[in-house]
Amino acid sequence: MQHFTHQLELFPDCSVTLVLFNDVKNAVALRKKAMEGSIDGALINPAMIVDPFQILVATNKAVHLHRIGKMKTRTLNAEIIFNLSPNNNISDALKKFGISDNDSAVIIVLIEDKEKTVNLEGIISQVEGQQVSLAELNKITDIAKVKKMYKLTPQEEKIGTLLDGIICRMSTKDIA
Amino acid sequence: MAGGGGEAGMCAVFDPPLQGLQLVQQGAEARLYRGQFLGRAAVVKLRFPKRYRHPALEERLSRRRTAQEARSLLRCRRAGISAPVVYFVDYISNCIYLEDIIGSTTVRDYITSVQQSGKDTSNLFLLAEKIGEVLARMHDEDLIHGDLTTSNMLLRPPVEELDLVLIDFGLSFISGLPEDKGVDLYVLEKAFLSTHPNTDTLFEALLKKYSTTSKKSSPVIKKLDEVRLRGRKRSMVG
Repeated sequence: MQHFTHQLELFPDCSVTLVLFNDVKNAVALRKKAMEGSIDGALINPAMIVDPFQILVATNKAVHLHRIGKMKTRTLNAEIIFNLSPNNNISDALKKFGISDNDSAVIIVLIEDKEKTVNLEGIISQVEGQQVSLAELNKITDIAKVKKMYKLTPQEEKIGTLLDGIICRMSTKDIA
Repeated sequence: MAGGGGEAGMCAVFDPPLQGLQLVQQGAEARLYRGQFLGRAAVVKLRFPKRYRHPALEERLSRRRTAQEARSLLRCRRAGISAPVVYFVDYISNCIYLEDIIGSTTVRDYITSVQQSGKDTSNLFLLAEKIGEVLARMHDEDLIHGDLTTSNMLLRPPVEELDLVLIDFGLSFISGLPEDKGVDLYVLEKAFLSTHPNTDTLFEALLKKYSTTSKKSSPVIKKLDEVRLRGRKRSMVG
């Protein structure tokens, strides 16, 4: 199995699975299925992701807000995508971090808890593409695009990694 | 005290439900825990409810301090000042999940150990200059720490590299006023000199470097001198 699963420490009944696909041919159909709800997962543009930790942080925050009824968006999946953004504009976040019709790679984030089980094989079978290990992410990430999106300062790059800057912005955007 | 983490609002009373949680420190303001968060070593700072405060004030104050801390940590990093990365802020239990600077030593412990070992103290002067430089950059961003002590400064391993990290921004705020910056330095001076005996020249070196690094230092130092004249057993004859 090449997917990546992590049990959320703060919500032990909840586990997050990340699956990366390359050479995807049916992005249009997948988007539609996700919006309809026939695929219950967050479809993320892997070019904007530098590390699975980035998605875990977004997911943890989404689950936290979902459980206290304070999400900014309407669904848990949309909230995960929204949390990746450094700003508070929801439609911009969904556009930039969600997948577009002509994308050839996609990360699917699946949440499993007491109320919901995940049919991994079922989801994989709906993707017309190649499932690959998350280690391949570094070949797909568009660093220039990521830097442009998160706008790290030159001083900031000296004291930490790109991921550090990204995580800080994601976690503090609601009060910054 | 089994984790009552499922109930909103009750979280603050019990330990945050983190696996491998280890209480590291109990302060007046908050408790510090160490554990794994999303696969990384993290520190969790929990501002627990103070029973002696009025509940309405308690809620607002804790939340404000939590938010201020998170905001200041981001502001520091944007300015290139080393401070822990914020992983997650829980505004219900007023917890901040931060990067754990593994193997770090507080500046306080470092100074004490160098003095006790009787080893070469020239590194201490370099350290003092490093601190002066970092504080100057922080104040030039109009960021006031609010609780400057040598326990609130960490050194990444290996300590000799003097890679300084500032922590504990709970009392921080934004201000351009030389008075506020002067008081910030005064707080450090008092903490420094009382914790570390015979370090007057060290602190002088710190201030000197601060003055040369900061573009707006001279009104700040002037205010520092004025503030020193205030307080107990001090003559306020101008």
